[in-house]
Amino acid sequence: MAYTTFSMRHNDQLKEPMFFGQPVNVARYDQQKHVIFEKLIEKQLSFFWRPEEVDVSRDRIDYQRLPAHEQHIFISNLKYQTLLDSIQGRSPNVALLPLVSIPELETWIETWAFSETLHSRSYTHIIRNIVNDPALIFDDIVTNKNIVARARDISRYYDELIEMSNYYHLLGEGQHYINGRYKEISLRQLKQALYLCLMSVNVLEAIRFYVSFACSFAFAERGLMEGNAKIIRLIARDEALHMSGTQHMLNLMRSGADDPEMAEIAQQCHEQSRALFLLAAQQEKQWADYLFKDGSMIGLNRQILHHYVEYITNIRMQAIGMEPAFEKRSHPIPWVNAWLASDNVQVAPQEVEVSSYLVGQIDATITADDLGSFEL
Amino acid sequence: MADLIVSTGSTQLAWQGRLATLLELLEDNCLPVEYQCRSGFCGACRVRLLAGRVRYRQPPLACLSKGEILPCCCVPESDITLALEHPP
Ligand code: FES
Ligand SMILES: [Fe+2]
Ligand SMILES: [Fe+2]
Repeated sequence: MAYTTFSMRHNDQLKEPMFFGQPVNVARYDQQKHVIFEKLIEKQLSFFWRPEEVDVSRDRIDYQRLPAHEQHIFISNLKYQTLLDSIQGRSPNVALLPLVSIPELETWIETWAFSETLHSRSYTHIIRNIVNDPALIFDDIVTNKNIVARARDISRYYDELIEMSNYYHLLGEGQHYINGRYKEISLRQLKQALYLCLMSVNVLEAIRFYVSFACSFAFAERGLMEGNAKIIRLIARDEALHMSGTQHMLNLMRSGADDPEMAEIAQQCHEQSRALFLLAAQQEKQWADYLFKDGSMIGLNRQILHHYVEYITNIRMQAIGMEPAFEKRSHPIPWVNAWLASDNVQVAPQEVEVSSYLVGQIDATITADDLGSFEL
Repeated sequence: MADLIVSTGSTQLAWQGRLATLLELLEDNCLPVEYQCRSGFCGACRVRLLAGRVRYRQPPLACLSKGEILPCCCVPESDITLALEHPP
């Protein structure tokens, strides 16, 4: 089916599947097939923040005083996160919007990707402040082999899905002769590519960020790079929400409640999905090794981070109905959780104990008692 | 009214009305629970509810399978029994 930005065909949006139904026409939210996506949108909007609100000027002095191996840890993590958010700021839009068929999910995807652009802009905010020439850092991202290795594994699933859906939209199902080769395009295949892509995004947001998060918080525990930690904390809060969104999509697919064929595909892809988690865990451990190649930092070392990766991976696997892959253990760095808890995230220092920034939380239920004192 | 009882297999705790969430009760008693966001959207605190009912102040956003609850944002509404896994 060719994509159209506004289908003139009247349809009942409540009967469309999340993906591969009729492209969304009217963006309406008075009715919801999956109300959870509307809730996620509201939550994400209530989280809104801007990097410029966080003062990072003190970090410059801290950074200059860090020993070289700790500067390496700090900068490498920033590079890696810059890569991840560069991907996330565009890919959900490019890959998923042409396939989505219910308005609340379409808007969740856009809201999600928009918040990723805040993350990207905040890295520039941080980097500009600590070094005189940000290009030195940004330019290394596409050449540093420790980063590039993972970039490929992350963008691959998006790219495959995008390529396949381009053919599908242009040519439809069937065998096509493209660029000198026969290519088989089927909806079933495309659905599978979508499922694996969502799985890989889930792994990205649920696991890949956490080693760098832990390092940022370890600096801040020592009173260093605190502006950075404040920003990372806001990013971490967003990421936990994004992860929840993707887990919902995957669980809806797995259950067959949304599209029965997706349940079959989920089952078929089970081993491949597990492998995605295992590969990510392994790569993140290697990342920890690279970070600490010239020395550890107080409160963290390779071993602890390896255990943390395993701990987080187990929890994330269970969230989507998989058997945990690693030995069960208690949290190896419990102090990290205090930084990840979103009930005490604060933006400006004068705002103590701010809970999440709920806006427009007006109680709209009115009973006769509320009006008792009014007279006409 | 008698205190509500929170059982976890090995332990029985009386629910403390002054606490904001079930998670706080479990933490105060050093029981093995996880958490991350403490606001109902990350799912890290998820545990199985074997018996009884809980109440959420706001409907949570994290994925829940049948029989699972999020202690970070609920309180017991009756006597309850939880399945807590004890890691070594
Ligand atoms: S700690 Fe995040 S949902 Fe309970
Ligand atoms: Fe992000
Ligand atoms: Fe994200």
